[in-house]
Amino acid sequence: MKKLTYLLMISATFLAFAAFRPVAGKLVTKAGHISFFSHTAVEDITANNYKVVSTLETETGNVAFSVPMQSFEFEKSLMQEHFNSKDFLNTKEFPKAKFEGKIANLSAVDFSKDGTYEVSVSGNLTIKDVTKPITEKGTITVKGGVVNAKTKFNLVLGDYGVTFKKGKPSTNIAKEIEVTLNADYQGE
Amino acid sequence: MTKRKVIKVVLIVVAIGIAAAASIVLYLFNKPHRDVQSADVNFTLTASDLVQEYLTDPKAGNLKYLDDSGDSKIIAVTGTVRSISRDMNNQLVVLLQDDGDKAGVSCTFSAATNAAAEKLTAGQTVTIKGVIRSGAGYDADLDLYEDVIIEKSDILNP
Repeated sequence: MKKLTYLLMISATFLAFAAFRPVAGKLVTKAGHISFFSHTAVEDITANNYKVVSTLETETGNVAFSVPMQSFEFEKSLMQEHFNSKDFLNTKEFPKAKFEGKIANLSAVDFSKDGTYEVSVSGNLTIKDVTKPITEKGTITVKGGVVNAKTKFNLVLGDYGVTFKKGKPSTNIAKEIEVTLNADYQGE
Repeated sequence: MTKRKVIKVVLIVVAIGIAAAASIVLYLFNKPHRDVQSADVNFTLTASDLVQEYLTDPKAGNLKYLDDSGDSKIIAVTGTVRSISRDMNNQLVVLLQDDGDKAGVSCTFSAATNAAAEKLTAGQTVTIKGVIRSGAGYDADLDLYEDVIIEKSDILNP
């Protein structure tokens, strides 16, 4: 009987540890969601992409994102064609947008404790082979061992050589678009 | 022909021209997306070969498989099911990856085809048809191999 109690205690302790195993090390997702929104007086345009690959290292605060550009889906096929074409994002030659950077205030995040943490991330964003430094705010949520990252920021397309000089796109696409990102990470 | 008649004819011709131009613009503007599953397969190959092609020469891979319009090549890829997961748009994602390969082929299904993916089990060999979005490759910042991405997938029955 004593042996059974002992066994139960050990397994209970083990289970408790397994359930509350702190998330640490390199976290990965291959199914992050990124969308953008463009508003002009003429029309609103939204595109969604569910194939974002990202890593987040809890010890160093390093973060990286890779966005397959052809995975952006638009309501209208003509918009999608414009987006991909040589004149705009040229996705055949530059199929991926990338970001690599660091959480500036890593000490503010406790990956072992459930909670919502405000972070600031600085790094380099590369779109269409043009790299620019950016710093944006985001939110990291830790809940039951799952780490989620969210951010929303504005992007000036002209900074990355994406310009619309003539025709419909020049009047219907905003010069500055709103980018929203949502990623659920898992241990590698 | 009187002057008035000539004007009438010209006006009719112009009106028809404007109507035709407007309908072409409207058609182009509202043109539906390509239906990947009813379109022809451009390339048939194994997941291993596709990954290997990209790892050997990513630029050549992009030239061969990607299209400027975003309507890239339609591929029928055969491989071993490594995992099945669900994305944030409630679409099933089947990873085809054979033992020993550094990367796989990540196939995203759709609301219309999810049911077919649900029947798959890990370890099974299957052929999946879909549109390629990007190739495989090692990324130094991520420090991992990225998979080939296929979307609008469905299982191709022999």
